[in-house]
Amino acid sequence: MAEAKENQKLLEVKDLRVSFFTPAGEVKAVGGISYDLDYGEVMGVVGESGSGKSQEAYSIMGLLQSPGKVIGGSITFEGQDVLSFSKDEMTAFRGNKVAMIFQNPMTCLNPVYTVGNQLVEALRAHDKNISRADAEKRAMEMMEMVGINNVEKRMRQYPHEFSGGMRQRVMIAMGLICHPQLLIADEPTTALDVTIQAQILELMKDLQKKTKMGIIFITHNLGVVADICDKVSVMYAGKIVEQGPVDDIFYNPSHPYTVGLLRSMPRVDAENYERLIPIEGTPVDMLNPPEGCPFAPRCQHCMKICLKKMPPYMEIGEKHRSACWLRVLERMDKKDQNKEGNQDGKQ
Amino acid sequence: MGKYVVKRLGMALVTIFLVTCLTFLLMNAVPGSPWLSEKSPSEATLAALNAKYGLDKPLHIQLLKYLQNLLKGDFGVSLKMQKNRAVLSIIKEMFPVSAKVGALALCWAVLVGVPLGCLAAFKRGRLTDSILRVVCTLGISMPSFVVASILLVSFAGGIASLKIFPTIFDASAGWRTYVLPCFALGFYPMCYTARQTRSAMLDSLNQEFIKTARAKGLKDNKIIFKHALRNALIPVITYLGPQVAFTLCGGFVVESVFSIPGLGRYFVQSIQNRDYPVIMGTTVFLASFIILMNMVVDILYKIADPRINLMKGGE
Amino acid sequence: MAEDKKMKRCPVTLQPDIEELLDWNSYSASDFDSASVEEKADFIQERQSVSYWKDAWRRLKKNTVAMVALGVIIFLVLFAFVGPYVVPYGYEQFNKGAENLHPFHYALEDQRRLDAEVAARTETETLSVDELIARAEEEAAAKGEKLSPVDIAKIRAQAKVAAQNTPAQSQQVDVDALRAELGIKKKLFGYSKEELERKAKGETVFPHVFGTDMYGRDILVRVMYAARVSMSVGICAAILVLFIGATYGAISGYCGGRVDAVMQRIVEVIYAVPEMLVVLLIATALKPILTEYVNMGSGPLKSFVSVLGPNLISMFIAFGVLYWVTMSRIIRGQVLQLKQQEYVTAAKALGASGGRIIRRHLIPNCIGQIVVTTCLQIPSAIFLESFLSYLGVGVSAPLPSLGSMATDALSGMYTYTYRLIVPAVVLSVMILAFNLFGDGLRDALDPKLKK
Repeated sequence: MAEAKENQKLLEVKDLRVSFFTPAGEVKAVGGISYDLDYGEVMGVVGESGSGKSQEAYSIMGLLQSPGKVIGGSITFEGQDVLSFSKDEMTAFRGNKVAMIFQNPMTCLNPVYTVGNQLVEALRAHDKNISRADAEKRAMEMMEMVGINNVEKRMRQYPHEFSGGMRQRVMIAMGLICHPQLLIADEPTTALDVTIQAQILELMKDLQKKTKMGIIFITHNLGVVADICDKVSVMYAGKIVEQGPVDDIFYNPSHPYTVGLLRSMPRVDAENYERLIPIEGTPVDMLNPPEGCPFAPRCQHCMKICLKKMPPYMEIGEKHRSACWLRVLERMDKKDQNKEGNQDGKQ
Repeated sequence: MGKYVVKRLGMALVTIFLVTCLTFLLMNAVPGSPWLSEKSPSEATLAALNAKYGLDKPLHIQLLKYLQNLLKGDFGVSLKMQKNRAVLSIIKEMFPVSAKVGALALCWAVLVGVPLGCLAAFKRGRLTDSILRVVCTLGISMPSFVVASILLVSFAGGIASLKIFPTIFDASAGWRTYVLPCFALGFYPMCYTARQTRSAMLDSLNQEFIKTARAKGLKDNKIIFKHALRNALIPVITYLGPQVAFTLCGGFVVESVFSIPGLGRYFVQSIQNRDYPVIMGTTVFLASFIILMNMVVDILYKIADPRINLMKGGE
Repeated sequence: MAEDKKMKRCPVTLQPDIEELLDWNSYSASDFDSASVEEKADFIQERQSVSYWKDAWRRLKKNTVAMVALGVIIFLVLFAFVGPYVVPYGYEQFNKGAENLHPFHYALEDQRRLDAEVAARTETETLSVDELIARAEEEAAAKGEKLSPVDIAKIRAQAKVAAQNTPAQSQQVDVDALRAELGIKKKLFGYSKEELERKAKGETVFPHVFGTDMYGRDILVRVMYAARVSMSVGICAAILVLFIGATYGAISGYCGGRVDAVMQRIVEVIYAVPEMLVVLLIATALKPILTEYVNMGSGPLKSFVSVLGPNLISMFIAFGVLYWVTMSRIIRGQVLQLKQQEYVTAAKALGASGGRIIRRHLIPNCIGQIVVTTCLQIPSAIFLESFLSYLGVGVSAPLPSLGSMATDALSGMYTYTYRLIVPAVVLSVMILAFNLFGDGLRDALDPKLKK
């Protein structure tokens, strides 16, 4: 069970930068993002493929594969600096305090060992003293909790004997077996069909309520975000372009990219003649990220300054931030108006 | 599982049958006969000899008779090299020698090859890996006679001070006598196994479940030896079957060079001498052995990989 | 401006505080104009798209090992095909007087010195009785005397006694030690004595770089021809296997269904046959048949067969019958995979015929695999050929083969080690180079593998 400490956040990420040093050059996958997460908070990270959303999650768990490296910023978990962990500390940290579940349940389980074996292994990696029988019992409890029937039989089965949705449940069970404070879910429902998606989401909501753990939910599906998340970070080209409570994002989107995303979602209640409105253009080449706002070439409202400089973050509402020159323009206009107002007043 | 074994066994028998027929046809298509190298016998003697050994009957009858005898376990008798000695007994005497050398060679090939392959996989891209790769490719590029000859020359002749291993095989001389032949014979399989292990390990380490294992917080050792290696060994097993074949056949050369009284060398001699029953018998025996070993390895492979569920017919 | 809310300093760093920004007024109003389409287009730096082949070639070039192997292959090709024109000896040429030469020699004067020393030290033992007498007569003549019959008899008796008393151990002077004593060094390349003499007279004599064999045939030239044979055999066999295997695999994969199932059963059976055994059998069995065939009259086919030799033909036959299975499996796998690809379905939907699909879609995508597998079949073929030659059922004499040269060398292995080492090394290097290059090709053409 997560405990809320005074003024301590569960996770604080400050200006995280991740680059991949490939033979073709340095790919700046994550170009400086910051966010924090409270205990028990569910944050959604939304973005296209290549926006860096998975990479920043991997860097929290130290799972970045070479040639990727964290080149700047800090990650603080429960007050501890994750980036400075030694190898042993990191192995103790993973699975225990933070767990991760991945996108493709078909390939994420080792096909030559039984599911029970793999669950027990997850437990015994962190609790050396637990007996085999106890570990198995815990594993079975966990499997029941995620909604698998016939646990006795299922424990001795191999992954290929489970369906996709069941495997994802097993993955969740494996992630939660050590009662972590934070669960990172990297597109857990993308590879599943819609009805199973709904089931898994329900399950996750349920579990979150029970365990009060924090969740970072990475997805490109806004619908899922609306269902489960408390707050949302919208990423584009390695940067967070908008961040805020889920309602704000959906009802008051401020960044043109967010607006575009929301607009491009097909809706069940759309009329026949309504066309899908996609976002024009193609994603940015991360090998040579341009100066200025990365979304500029695809933005309807692009201004000259957008091509030159990266816009600063601005608070638009309660805890609602966005990085867009449009907002700066609005603020400047407002300021000018105030100025004139004052001057008028003074005169 | 049972069904698979039966099916595989059936195929093996069919193959053995085909090989037997093919050998028989080839042997008889060749002009000349076992008697030619001796002082030219007269027509009558030839006819008598042929009649005695049943060589005068039409081919298909000969084949049939041979097959019948085979089923009874009678491989015929040697016509030339060891007159009138039952081929089966020749095989019984010579095969164990070949088998021992071959088995030792394979053992050391696997015991050294797999760890080397793993090492190359971990240190991938670095100097160790490059060196190992070139050495292993070299190993599979050198025909066994090259390896055997070089070994002989280095240890026995050329570099006089290194005469530590005997050059002529002598079973009673203790373990030393096995060193050079087994090394020569096992060098190719070792390099081949190392290459296969390396690529299988690399494949294995790239799998998603390794990511899961790391995310679970497992220690590196455990990830490598429990998860990656186990998966990597599966394809390696499938290469063992053909390796048995190769080792046995490579044995021909090694046996000649080191003068090992084994079946391989005898086989080559029998071909040169046109001793039909021996050729037939040894071919059938060796081929059957190889085919059966392939079958065993295939079955092992199916057992090792639980994804292939033979009872339920898979997913 | 007190009314303006103080902007919270956002933890994004690097960005200046909004207040400062607004105060600077360094941005003109025009900065906030809309950007035009062209400006946006300039903004994006398109990465050049590279074609598959260029990309693969680039990757291959970076692979040092493969490039070195390619270099070695080119060198070997030159060695084998151009070399014989450089060396004036024929592979069949028995160079009289130049038998059993090592790949090194001693200078003429050195040799004479050595001979003199040896003679000086082993006078009494090595000379026969008559020679002794002749020598004594010479010495006497030099002194102006003549040998008396008594002296002659004395010499004879001495020799007899000496011969009887000669201890069992050899009285041969240790020639090597003597050489070291005299400071005679080995010089590169083999020359026979008379060749050295010719050289001394000013004639340019091409050295026997690797020495000669027992018939006086220059080994370097023989190795060149043998390498030529091996490489030609390898390439031809690989191409043969390519055609048979690729056709079979493509048809099997493309047709699918029953046809495929039947064809695959056949493949499995052939795959299970122990190749070397059968190849050996076929080669041995066909040899006499083909020899008879050749001897019965003439004709272009027959002369072709006779040049190559019946063994080689049978090796090709055996190779063609058995070794195509690997290629067919790979091609079939590729075809099956590609069949599922959507662009094939798209092409079909657009009305393309089967043939067109195979030609334009399937084959170009298979080419990578085809090239790699063919390249890797070459060393297999060379390997097999050398193995068969070693056992005596490969290329027939007098055409040399690396394997048969090794067999011949076995008998004199300890004294004439070079005769074994040279073909063995050339053979291994050849196979190694092809293997390494094939590996490099595979890495370059299929980047998904083990980056």
